[in-house]
Amino acid sequence: MSSLVVTGEGVVSSAGVGPTAMRSALAASSRQPPDVRGLYPEALPYTSAHALTDFDVRALLGRKGTSFLDRATGLALVACGQAIGHSGMVPGTWAPERTGIALGTTVGSLRSSSDYSRETLLAERPYLVNPVLFPNTVMNCAAGQAAIWYRLKGVNSTVAGGPLGFLGALRYGMNVLRRGYADAMLIGAVEEFTPHTAWAHYLRHAVGLPGEAAAVFVVERAESARAAGRTPVAELAAVRGGFHPGGGEGLAKRLTASMREALEDAALEPWQVDRLAFSEAGGAADEAIGTAAFSGLLGPYSAARIRVREALGECGAAAGALQFAALLPAPRAAQDGRGGLLAGWTREGAFEVAVIKDISGAGDSSG
Amino acid sequence: MPAGDEPESRRVVVTGLGPVSSIGTGIAEFSASLRAGRSGAAGIRSFDPAGFPYSYAAEVPDFCAEKLLRGLDPQDWGRSSQFAAAAARLAADDAGLDTGRIAAGRFGVVMGTTSGESQVVEALTSQAVAGGGCQAFAPDALARLPAARLAHAASEELGAAGPSVTLANACSASNYAIGYGYDLLTSGEADIVAAGGADSVCRWAHAGFYRLGALSERACAPFDRDRTGILTAEGGVVLILEALGHAQSRGARIYAEVLGYGLNCDARHMVAPDAESIAGCMRAAHHNAGVTARDVDYICAHGTGTVSNDRAEADAVRQVFGEHAPPVSSIKSMLGHAMGAASGFGAVAAVLAIADGFLPPTINWDSRDPLFPWLDPVPNRARTAEVRIAQNDGFAFGGNNCITIFGAFR
Repeated sequence: MSSLVVTGEGVVSSAGVGPTAMRSALAASSRQPPDVRGLYPEALPYTSAHALTDFDVRALLGRKGTSFLDRATGLALVACGQAIGHSGMVPGTWAPERTGIALGTTVGSLRSSSDYSRETLLAERPYLVNPVLFPNTVMNCAAGQAAIWYRLKGVNSTVAGGPLGFLGALRYGMNVLRRGYADAMLIGAVEEFTPHTAWAHYLRHAVGLPGEAAAVFVVERAESARAAGRTPVAELAAVRGGFHPGGGEGLAKRLTASMREALEDAALEPWQVDRLAFSEAGGAADEAIGTAAFSGLLGPYSAARIRVREALGECGAAAGALQFAALLPAPRAAQDGRGGLLAGWTREGAFEVAVIKDISGAGDSSG
Repeated sequence: MPAGDEPESRRVVVTGLGPVSSIGTGIAEFSASLRAGRSGAAGIRSFDPAGFPYSYAAEVPDFCAEKLLRGLDPQDWGRSSQFAAAAARLAADDAGLDTGRIAAGRFGVVMGTTSGESQVVEALTSQAVAGGGCQAFAPDALARLPAARLAHAASEELGAAGPSVTLANACSASNYAIGYGYDLLTSGEADIVAAGGADSVCRWAHAGFYRLGALSERACAPFDRDRTGILTAEGGVVLILEALGHAQSRGARIYAEVLGYGLNCDARHMVAPDAESIAGCMRAAHHNAGVTARDVDYICAHGTGTVSNDRAEADAVRQVFGEHAPPVSSIKSMLGHAMGAASGFGAVAAVLAIADGFLPPTINWDSRDPLFPWLDPVPNRARTAEVRIAQNDGFAFGGNNCITIFGAFR
């Protein structure tokens, strides 16, 4: 079986557009979250949060076709464009019919569906809603618009996974490539910051500050990437997961078992894992599960822990995508025989783990 | 072909069916309704339709989660998750699964949906309107909101510890779920997958479809010259998909085989279907299933009853099947458009067509559409027929096309 490689990344976070902005924010010892007071006319529970306060979809994508896009879709489109550009998918080197997308989400744009529902309650007649905005209420809006925007005529899928949205999309996209349904997949996740998500964060007593982000990666078979002259950033080696009925108790053990299987798929030993990331949304509870799961796997070995929530906010389905971006080796830092592990889970008990492997010399051309 | 463990040689069969719909809950009732051509349309009860010009939908009028669920406390879950879990339980019982005796880690769930917990979104919205903003959201409603919970509800209900995935591919989502389940089985990642979909009737979809000019007043009449549109609908549906070797080793009854599926994206318009692209999806499905258009005995249509869908779907059938199109019927004439569950109900109908030898009718049908006079919609009455291979169409907003192919098991 041919290996799958990441050839491009697009990251939009509260630190700005592009992976460099994200990496600088993660490297900084502390970061002041943006002031969000002017962002919406509605009241917000926080004066600062991890939103892209200067996000201007028209400036980034042009005026044509952007006026009715919701925020989540706009963020996703920008991240997709970045990933395509970074990968070097220039026209003629890829087939639209053989290129698809898998995006993770929690509920799509909650603001879009809730505002639509609100109109039925407040309009003079309940049916006086704007038909142009109706497609924004479906959860596959961002993936469907990305297909139109970038001519992705292959498999188009949206995985509603909440905190596992990205890892679910990653597993789905890997399946698509392994089954030969597509030659390349854009795989990522998006979450928007709106009064709806901010209040949901606040009222559920969620940890830290709410945020927003979109991160998208081009994943394809190694040989077709090579043939098209695209440079791999890393190998996507394995994704494994399942469901732990009841959640909580015993989840760490199942995570450890899944990590072992995933490392076996990747032909890596635990000591070769030199960096890791796991769910941060659940605060101390998640910290305990992740620590137990990883110490069960690594034993005496240690790996660098990557965290994104403190610097970039709690980004729901996109949190895993930011962690994945942060796990990719920096240019010229990749070493054969080294890899990174990403684990995620939901409070209901669903979990996934992913393994990336370094490719020596990867990314040199972009350095 | 032997039921070996070589990943690419694992065949996938359907061993259980669990519909929760406007025309029946449980496979016996649902099947009888399909044969009788019963309509599930009635006056809306999920919300107050006052002020709407049209007030019909196909709801599940007598849904009682408490009666159907054994492992799940319905109070903790939204209506769509309850539909998903109830359908999963019915399907598992129909398959004769003793969930205590199967390997839980090899048992996965994949559910499809359009709007997830839309009634939870509407409850939150009402709270915000009444309370002056989103600060009035009720925390317990927020806990029920994530769409991932549709699959998790079914996993929890059945004690299934394999993958638990919700695909939000709008109105073809159940077909995506069945396709992904089929892949998890053929690749050896699971032995059993409960695959299907769920959605609930809500105000915003009723309003949106009305404003698109796509809503029918009382009756959905697909492929009829004078069709007026869809009826919004709801429900949950699950098919138990199983690796053949696993099914045989426990002596399971086999309804039909999943032969494969095809999927693509129009990448042209968020709402309007594209005949060329749909034809491409049909060809991909046939190729993946190892069949040709000539082999297909019945098409369970997407058949929403809108002008644009009917014309695009008929056009695509013509492009792919030429002069030899098999009968094409739409069960949405009976069930309405159950959104993310719709293609799952279609899959059940396709499987029953094979297993029980009948074509479900397109009811409310009166006049041929002059644009496709050749199309046989199986008008108004179910028809006895031998169906060896059935094609189940699913199309969606976002241009998300997915078509599943089922075959008689031999």
